[in-house]
Amino acid sequence: MTYAMTDSAVPKSRTKKQSLLKQIMTMPAGAILLVFATLQIVCIVGALAYPDDFRYLSPQNLTILMKAIPVLGCLALGAGILMIAGEFDLSVGSVYTLTAVLMASLVDGGMSAFIAAPLGILLGVMIGLLNGTITLRLGLPSFIVTLGGLLFWRGAVLLYNGAVQVRFDPEPAFSSLFAGTLLGINAAFIWIVLFVVGFYLLLHRHKFGNHVFATGGNPAAATAIGINTDRVKLVAFAIAGGMAAVAGIIATARVGSVQPGQGAGLELQAIAACVIGGLSLRGGRGSIIGIFLGVMLIHTITDVLLLLRAPGFYLDMFIATLIVIAAAFNHLIERRGTA
Amino acid sequence: MSAPNLLELHNISKSFGALTALRDLSFHIGSSEVVGLLGDNGAGKSTTVNLISGIYKPTSGYLSVDGEKTLFTCRSDSADAGIETIYQNTALVDSLSITRNIFMGRERTDAFGFLKQVEMRDIAMEVLEKAVHISGIDSPDKLVGDLSGGQKQAVAIARAVFFKRRVLLLDEPTSALSVRETEALLAQVLKLKAEGVSSVLVTHNLYHAYQVCDRFVIMSHGTKVFDVNKADTTISQLTEYVVLT
Ligand SMILES: Nc1ncnc2c1ncn2[C@@H]1O[C@H](COP(=O)(O)OP(=O)(O)O)[C@@H](O)[C@H]1O
Ligand SMILES: [Mg+2]
Repeated sequence: MTYAMTDSAVPKSRTKKQSLLKQIMTMPAGAILLVFATLQIVCIVGALAYPDDFRYLSPQNLTILMKAIPVLGCLALGAGILMIAGEFDLSVGSVYTLTAVLMASLVDGGMSAFIAAPLGILLGVMIGLLNGTITLRLGLPSFIVTLGGLLFWRGAVLLYNGAVQVRFDPEPAFSSLFAGTLLGINAAFIWIVLFVVGFYLLLHRHKFGNHVFATGGNPAAATAIGINTDRVKLVAFAIAGGMAAVAGIIATARVGSVQPGQGAGLELQAIAACVIGGLSLRGGRGSIIGIFLGVMLIHTITDVLLLLRAPGFYLDMFIATLIVIAAAFNHLIERRGTA
Repeated sequence: MSAPNLLELHNISKSFGALTALRDLSFHIGSSEVVGLLGDNGAGKSTTVNLISGIYKPTSGYLSVDGEKTLFTCRSDSADAGIETIYQNTALVDSLSITRNIFMGRERTDAFGFLKQVEMRDIAMEVLEKAVHISGIDSPDKLVGDLSGGQKQAVAIARAVFFKRRVLLLDEPTSALSVRETEALLAQVLKLKAEGVSSVLVTHNLYHAYQVCDRFVIMSHGTKVFDVNKADTTISQLTEYVVLT
């Protein structure tokens, strides 16, 4: 009953008078963009001022950053689209390892990596579909189902492969496609940029994306209007699984081997990147650019702390603080949106 | 009784387990007619609306559209027949823009499924300006979550108008609205009537009903107790029926 007054009395031009800062903050990924840009400026100024002590702009460091971002980026894009649809996938870290182990051992057995890699992606998609089917058919929280997936597939890797490292020795063409360089830019980084563009088109420019937002934002409304929310979610689960496999391929091509324990904790980092990037834990809200900035922010902070030779636990504490601040901020925006 | 009615309910009963929510309910909605569906709490008004919009299936009895017997098994069946329901909590997605909400599930796309954003935005703009001029929605790019209750209903109505609905079902649409928004909504119902869209208005407020309805159907305990044209009744008679039956 309060809006009886506000809405008729306030002139329409209210929005035009908003400051630029406020406008940026209300954009879908505005806040994270601001934080990211500020951090970059601080880092660049710092690197220019102390080029010997803070080698942020050194070619080696930039290469490290470009190599690190794609793996978490792929995981976060897949997990993020699913989060916007209103579900979680905690199994992506384990699926990432499982599919990489499968691909590497197939190649070890003589198969071409160009066949083994798609098989790995197929396995990831199948596991995603399985997660989705169990979640939707039984009406269980995906959080629990995919927590089960996390433990199950982690165990499956050890059962199938043992705790030993698997060598990955693909044909040179495959290596250069995923781990080479093009015009001085790391191939994996080019891949992630392509994926970001592709996911942007899918989520923000395609009918499917519209349905993803509706499914996560108001399932009852989506159903009422004739959207098959189960199908939308199932496709999102498949994408999350498939992208976990892609992350595995990129990581394995870079390192040349798979460690059976390497995926542990990545699912949480992926969700952290999404939350930092402005996705709502309740679904229906978020953007691809936000997810990507979330990933870049996590890696930039990691990198800066490494350059400053800070002990590893600082990183965890930093990310943890960032997640809570981001979640609080998202919550604030959501409340405003539903008031 | 020569031309068939737009929508007819024939001896509809609806039970939820042991509870009979509707019993032997029959009434009709003509074209370009605003029908007030009145009755005390629990009379079965919402159940009737849900039944017409295809969410519930009748236990017995049937609906007919244009004189033809039909069975709605889901919400999209009734949408195909030109029926749009506007709920108290409108079926909109807060995190999406007005344009995207209007076209939700019926997006304009190219052959590959990519959205024709400019086209949809232009249409949304036009519908908002021409069909529903309610309380200062100045841009179709606004997020629905930033709108007031009345503005949200305006968007829902815009959707119905654009997709050429024949019947609007409004279940207690004014309960969350300001006085001004309520007036705008009622004016909208009349405007749509002039364009040939019928409405069923469920409300507690007999004055609102009297203001816009051509006919009143009063329900009590799941069945119809009174069906009268506006010309043949008064507010006090309607009040008596609602209170005393
Ligand atoms: N889904 C349902 N399951 C069980 N009982 C219901 C359901 N929907 C409505 N009812 C019952 O049907 C009766 C009529 O309810 P309703 O149609 O909501 O009344 P009104 O809208 O006129 O207040 C009430 O007794 C209500 O409890
Ligand atoms: Mg009701």
